[in-house]
Amino acid sequence: MAALGFRLMAMLLALLGAGLAVAAPPHIAATLEAESRAPKAGSRIDLAIAFRPAPTWHGYWKNPGDAGTETLVEWTLPAGVKAGELRYPVPGTLLVGGIMNHVYEAPYALLVPLDVPAGLAPGTQLPIRAKVDWLACTREICVPERATLSLDLTVGDGAVEPAARTRFDGWRAALPRPLGAQARFERAGETLRLAVPLPASAAVKEPWFFPLGDDVTEQSAPQRASRAGDALVIEAKVGRGSPERIEGVVRIGPDRGLAIVAVPGKVPAGGAAAGAVESEGEGGGGLLLALGGALLGGLLLNVMPCVFPILSLKALSLARGGGSAAAARREALAYTGGAVIACVALGAALLGVRAGGAAAGWAFQLTDPRMIAALLLLSLAIALNLAGLFELPSLSGGLHAQGAFATGALAAFVATPCTGPFMAAALGAALVLPWVQALAVFAGLGLGLALPFLLIGFVPALRRALPKPGPWMATMRHILSVPMFVTALALAWLLGRQAGADGMAMGLAAALALALGLWWVGQRGLGVRAWLPLAPALAVSAALILTVPRAGPAEAAVASAGSEPFSEAKLAALTGAGTPVFVYFTADWCLTCKVNEKAAIERSIVRDAFAAKGIKVLVGDWTQGDAAIGRFLESQGRSGVPLYLFYAPGRAPQVLPQLLTPGLLTGLAV
Amino acid sequence: MLYRTIALLTALAPAIAAAAAQVGAPAPAFTVADSKGKPVRLADYKGKLVVLEWNNPGCPYVQKHYNSGNMQRTQAAARAAGAVWLTVNSGAPGKQGHMSGPQADAFVASAKARPAAYLLDASGAVGRAYAAKTTPHMFVINPAGRLVYDGAIDDKPTADPADIKTAKNLVMAAVNETRAGKPVSVATSRPYGCSVKYAG
Repeated sequence: MAALGFRLMAMLLALLGAGLAVAAPPHIAATLEAESRAPKAGSRIDLAIAFRPAPTWHGYWKNPGDAGTETLVEWTLPAGVKAGELRYPVPGTLLVGGIMNHVYEAPYALLVPLDVPAGLAPGTQLPIRAKVDWLACTREICVPERATLSLDLTVGDGAVEPAARTRFDGWRAALPRPLGAQARFERAGETLRLAVPLPASAAVKEPWFFPLGDDVTEQSAPQRASRAGDALVIEAKVGRGSPERIEGVVRIGPDRGLAIVAVPGKVPAGGAAAGAVESEGEGGGGLLLALGGALLGGLLLNVMPCVFPILSLKALSLARGGGSAAAARREALAYTGGAVIACVALGAALLGVRAGGAAAGWAFQLTDPRMIAALLLLSLAIALNLAGLFELPSLSGGLHAQGAFATGALAAFVATPCTGPFMAAALGAALVLPWVQALAVFAGLGLGLALPFLLIGFVPALRRALPKPGPWMATMRHILSVPMFVTALALAWLLGRQAGADGMAMGLAAALALALGLWWVGQRGLGVRAWLPLAPALAVSAALILTVPRAGPAEAAVASAGSEPFSEAKLAALTGAGTPVFVYFTADWCLTCKVNEKAAIERSIVRDAFAAKGIKVLVGDWTQGDAAIGRFLESQGRSGVPLYLFYAPGRAPQVLPQLLTPGLLTGLAV
Repeated sequence: MLYRTIALLTALAPAIAAAAAQVGAPAPAFTVADSKGKPVRLADYKGKLVVLEWNNPGCPYVQKHYNSGNMQRTQAAARAAGAVWLTVNSGAPGKQGHMSGPQADAFVASAKARPAAYLLDASGAVGRAYAAKTTPHMFVINPAGRLVYDGAIDDKPTADPADIKTAKNLVMAAVNETRAGKPVSVATSRPYGCSVKYAG
């Protein structure tokens, strides 16, 4: 009772003392800073309202989410001085008790452009005052905080101290970057579907759409992100409003995002899942979904042309064994073990490659012609085996747990060429999970693959229902080799698409070498020694595979060989020496940039024309938000990429259109 | 894993509830105990205007409207217009603003508030059914039992009591328009304040 009374007292005191709370040290400290304390008259500088939340406290984005408030600033400025709109960094999501908050939990800054009027004499004092209202919250409580911040500037030469430069560069890097291209959205029932133009090669992690306006989406509902070609598709639950134009920020990595504007339009169907969204609650659901998907996917793999023949033969051999139920169960378990372990091993290898720094996912690897060639050889080998050219001990052996294990592993291994785009989504999702969970998903895939065989092993009725073995099995096996040959054919076609006629010819030559080797093995009968002659055949195949040309990257390498990374110093040196310079700014997430590069800049006629005229090419890559490039873009009056500039000796720099043509570039007059 | 499962369930709950409470649709029915332990049913007030107010005395935005007397004045005006005022507290045990019956009565008395009842929704069931997001978050239900307003108390989303003078009271606007048989001109607005301190 005493405790209750105390709590009541404390609460009433809190009620009465609301006005006093302001005097206490703030939970988020705020300061006002200028990049240059001596701005030039007639210039624009950046101001920052820098916030430092105490541990466990957070501040809010412009659209604070389901609760919270945006930061409000009332400026008191000298005559003629103008402050622009607040620019917020990319926020994070914080879901508390089902209520979505768009927050900053680490130090952050709101940037404000400040225009200093022309005609002010150096030495003129510019007192800047800002009454700032912001909300500081923990997961439990909220405190509205207020401060009147002041900063005294003096009109001067615009000098920027290195320390201030570094701080402001850091803050600018945290701002969302404006996406030049327009996004599209459509409403499908309760789902708001958003397509953000983003090159397929641009990496995306933890994507999330933060709308400006609280009625655009149901903010606390989970979002689903996927890639569909050159678009990032985000699906969210529709909100109460139905605006005809949607603005917001799409997060594409930790503290990285793009500012977008979307208009109604067609949104492509989602493809592979894009870098998982890490948020409370959703991880568990994502894992269960991925596990279920993997199990189902594994089950479906059984009817794929590459697996079905193996499975059906194995099932029949089990039926042939007849009698012992215990032996059948043992064999089924061994097969399952083989399939699961092979899947986990393949998954682990993939995770290892990723951990090694390659950002590539499963689907991406399949775009490598060398991978396609390797799969072509594998499926051809299986087809030849089914056709009876040679025997594998594991397939022809009787009821041996060891043989069953090997068959399971083989089934999982040969399933790879069939997974292709079909399984890419599920495996892609697995790759972004923590590694233990990712391996669990791969194990699920193996389990699904082994499930029919497991059933046959454990349910005698199923075994009895299988047709009696007989000479027809050999014929059946030969017939089953046809889908395998078709698989090989499809892979050969794919190889031709990706690596051209030369690449396909090399792949087929490797296939011939392998076939000859296998034929020889078949002549020599079973046994380990019989396989030795295969070694030179494999070596020849491997050598051929490695030399398969990779069309795309090779051209890109040539293109970038003629250009150098951008820096202002290099640009100044080149223009100072009277060299004509073509400068372009690009980013991996900028689709317009990539289109221009493929369609114009990297074309050989353009390269040749540039070489003939002695035009040097400088490339500024803004993918990571490089601060120096950001400043240069701003100095050109741009907030983002693409930007194309041409510096001809003795003339003012020429800003080229955002859509380039080879003709425009080859026609540049030196 | 258990934590994640719970978090998932709690994350899903308001999504389902949000589909239930919609302006123009029948207001979700509820039965919940008040500060005296008496069960209160929304159905009991069929034929009357009902105002729901989400409350957390520890929240500075609630304090803005109570310390200035604005919430009490709004209550009195709504009562005069024949409306039933129900204050709801969805704060979970151990969270800011959670209260027992006697504590709630003490708060109401000290604030000189006069709601028809102070409802203790510690489980958050009512709050989630209405998708109440902030304190304060206001709802107006017409005599036919349909939701006609969902949003903030007024159109100045700040914690500064000085803003109340110039703000438009959206709850009273909805009450008066409904009483006059007119459609509510601003039927939804963005509620502002602290988040409702639900369990989880």
